[in-house]
Formats: sequence, C-alpha cells, structure tokens
Amino acid sequence: MQLDFSFQQTWLHKTNPAFKFLLMLILFIGMLFIHNPNFLIIFMVGAWIMYLGYTGHSFFNLLLFASPFLLIFITSSISMILFGEGQTTWFQFGLIHVTEESFYRGLHLGMRSMIFGLLGLLFALTTRPVLLFYSLMQQFKLKPKFAYSFMAAVRILPIMLEEFQSLRHALKVRGVTYQKGVKGFYQKLQQYVIPLLAQSIRRAHRIAVAMEAKKFSGDQQRTYYYKLQIGKYDLYFTLLLISWVSITFYLTNFISIIPIDHVRSTN
Amino acid sequence: MKNKLTLTDILVTIIIALIFSVIYKLWGPLYSTVAVFGLHIDQLIYGMWFMAATVAFLIIRKPGIALLAELAAAQGEFMFGGQWGVTLLVYGFFQGLGCEIIFALFRYKNYRLFVTCLAGIAAGIGSLFIDAFYSYIPDLALWNLTLLIVARLVGAILITGVFAYYLVEALEKTGVTKLVRPVSSQDYQALEDEAK
Repeated sequence: MQLDFSFQQTWLHKTNPAFKFLLMLILFIGMLFIHNPNFLIIFMVGAWIMYLGYTGHSFFNLLLFASPFLLIFITSSISMILFGEGQTTWFQFGLIHVTEESFYRGLHLGMRSMIFGLLGLLFALTTRPVLLFYSLMQQFKLKPKFAYSFMAAVRILPIMLEEFQSLRHALKVRGVTYQKGVKGFYQKLQQYVIPLLAQSIRRAHRIAVAMEAKKFSGDQQRTYYYKLQIGKYDLYFTLLLISWVSITFYLTNFISIIPIDHVRSTN
Repeated sequence: MKNKLTLTDILVTIIIALIFSVIYKLWGPLYSTVAVFGLHIDQLIYGMWFMAATVAFLIIRKPGIALLAELAAAQGEFMFGGQWGVTLLVYGFFQGLGCEIIFALFRYKNYRLFVTCLAGIAAGIGSLFIDAFYSYIPDLALWNLTLLIVARLVGAILITGVFAYYLVEALEKTGVTKLVRPVSSQDYQALEDEAK
C-alpha cells in the first residue's frame, strides 16, 4: 500500500513553535488539577476537532496516526478500573474489585492520556523540528550549542539506519546464525548494538570537533538563518486555547454525562 | 574548566539520547500490549525509559549529562510523535533529575554497578512522583499500588542499572569511551610514568 504523507499548511504551522510548546506545557500542568471527568469529555471533543480539522493532513492518515490511542485509553485506565479504591461495589471477583468511583476515575485517566496524545500529535504534525529549535534559541535563550547539537543529532539517525542495514547484510553474508532464547538476545546485542553505538559516538565526536571549529559552541550574539517571532497567529492560538478552556468550563455546568464531578477518593 | 559541558559532550549525549528515543518510541506499543491486563507486568519493562540517563552518564561521566540525556530522549520521543505527548517531557525531567541527584551524591566520581542501580531507583521514584498526580496511583488498592511500585523499581534496577552498566562495559572494550571521557588523574599518572 502506498501511503501519501503530503499535507497542507494550516495557520497552526505559522505559530511560533517554542511558544506553542510552552502553551502545551501550561495546559498539561493545568490538567493535573482537573478532577471532573465531564470537563475532560467536553475538552476531548474539542481536541478531536482540532486534531482532525487543523493539522492539514488527510483524514485517513490522521486516523492511522491516532490508532494507538485506543490502546492507550485502555492501558491508562484498566488498572484503576479493576483495582482502584472505592465504596460502591459494582463487581467483585477475586482480586478484581470494580467500584463506581474507580470506574469513573479510570475513565478519567484514559481520557486524560488521550487528550495529551492528541495534543502531542497536533503539535508534532504542525511543527518543523528545526524551527522549534531555532525559536527556542531566539525566544527562550536556549544556548546554541544545545540546539545545534540536537539538530545535528537528528541528522545522524538516518545514517545509523543505513549502517544497521549494512551490518545486517554483512552478518548474513558471513552466515551468522543466532542461538535461541536469552543467549541469542545477548548475541544480537553484541553484534548490533555495540558496533552501532560505538560508531555513532565516534561519528558524533568527529562532527562535534568540526562544529566547534566553526564556532557553533559560541554563546555570544549570533545571527540566524531562520528568524522567528511571536506574531498574530500566536495570539490567535492563545485566544483559542483560553476560549476553548472557558467554554469547556461553562458547558461543564450544564452537561453531565458522568454522574460524578470529582474522581479522587476523598481521604 | 574540567567539568563544563563542551559541545562534544552535548552532541555525544544527545546522539545517545536520540538512539534511545527511537527505542522508547518502539517500546511504547510493547509496553501498552503488556499493560492491558492491569496487573503491572508492564512495570517490569518501564526501566527502559530511564536508560538513556545512566548509559550517557557512564560514558561521558560529567555533571548534568544524566538530566540532559533524559530530557533529550523525551524530546526526541515527543517529536517522533510518541503516544504520550507533552507528558513525556515532564516525566523525562523528573526521571533525569532522580539519576542526576544520585550521581551528584557520589560527587560524579563513582561509576560502579551499585550506584547505577541506585540511579535507576531514583529515576523510578521520580516517575512515581508524577504518577501520583497524573495517574492518581495513591487511589489504587494497596496491594495493587505496592505491586506497581515494586515492579517498577525492580525493572529499574535490572534495566536502568544492571543492563546499562554492562552495556557500557562492553562499549568500553571498543575503546570509544576514551574519546569522550574527561581525562582522569590516572591518565596524567600514566603520562608521567611514561616520561620517567
């Protein structure tokens, strides 16, 4: 199957990456203090609308990227649902003890993971990593040596992949066979991981020496190829988030899908 | 200025971290598959997520490396579209901080297996700290919570501690670590002995 990953630029692509990142972080910290599952349900609807409507990727691809979320939803909630504490028992079998409180708390956790998964993908799909580092340097005073190291390191990864391929072919040509079980795992580790790691450390070292010679390590005032600012799209995005959160708060007063508005056990 | 991070240290650390972030990204689905049962078997492999910190520190042996490695690995995983989004960075920060504190307590001069295992445990505690807020783990039944903590810490000791230690030991044999480590007093001694 041929996958087409082309996409259209939306206004979210034009926001300042580092600023967008900061907003996401603030949102995360704020979410830690939300214990009302109804809030999350309404907020999640908004997250899906944002994710499906404003990344500029095709609907099919978006669903494909989002497919792990079902699993995440289950894994984040299952142990709380089955083994959480609560008073109103719904079901009990051996160690499994499902209560009303723990069930809703589990759902709450699942939704929380899903929201951050969606927002994370929204960010990843609308941000060019290179620009993220440029804006971190320009707007948030990240030292250039960290930013450029990171960008260089990202470029080394494909080379490693090639190296991995040739290593595999070389071992195949030599007719290497693997033992079964733990021994085989150890053997593979020795034959793949060690040379790959060693080679990439050597390569990183060589590149770093070259970069130091070109003064990428300098912390003094420097010029940038990409110039980024905080502009009107960032204002839009901030306003969008603020209104999104306030509308959700407002609607939570009227819409009550889950008959509980505080999921923490009171103790 | 022996202990200041140079560009070489940073680049090597980030490379190691990014290699791990690819592993982390692949680890996510595996972890999720194991986690479906809710009995915390998944926690035994959780320690993999702390490994960048100890491996990078054991290779480069400078202050700040563990934290930087863990943050960079989290950032990498985030950029590759890791399934937990921005949460990753907060976890990464506290896990790296846990490791960093342990290495700092030994004044960054102890690289034994024991210390590496301790760093693993500290990273585990760092992650449990966020879990208390993010995943409400104190609201689990007591036996289940105990199981979660024990499984995670055991996993951390085995993977972050033991596995990382022997991985770096195997790397040392290739001689590559000599490139990136700061010179120790033993190296000076060896030079002087040679001069005599």
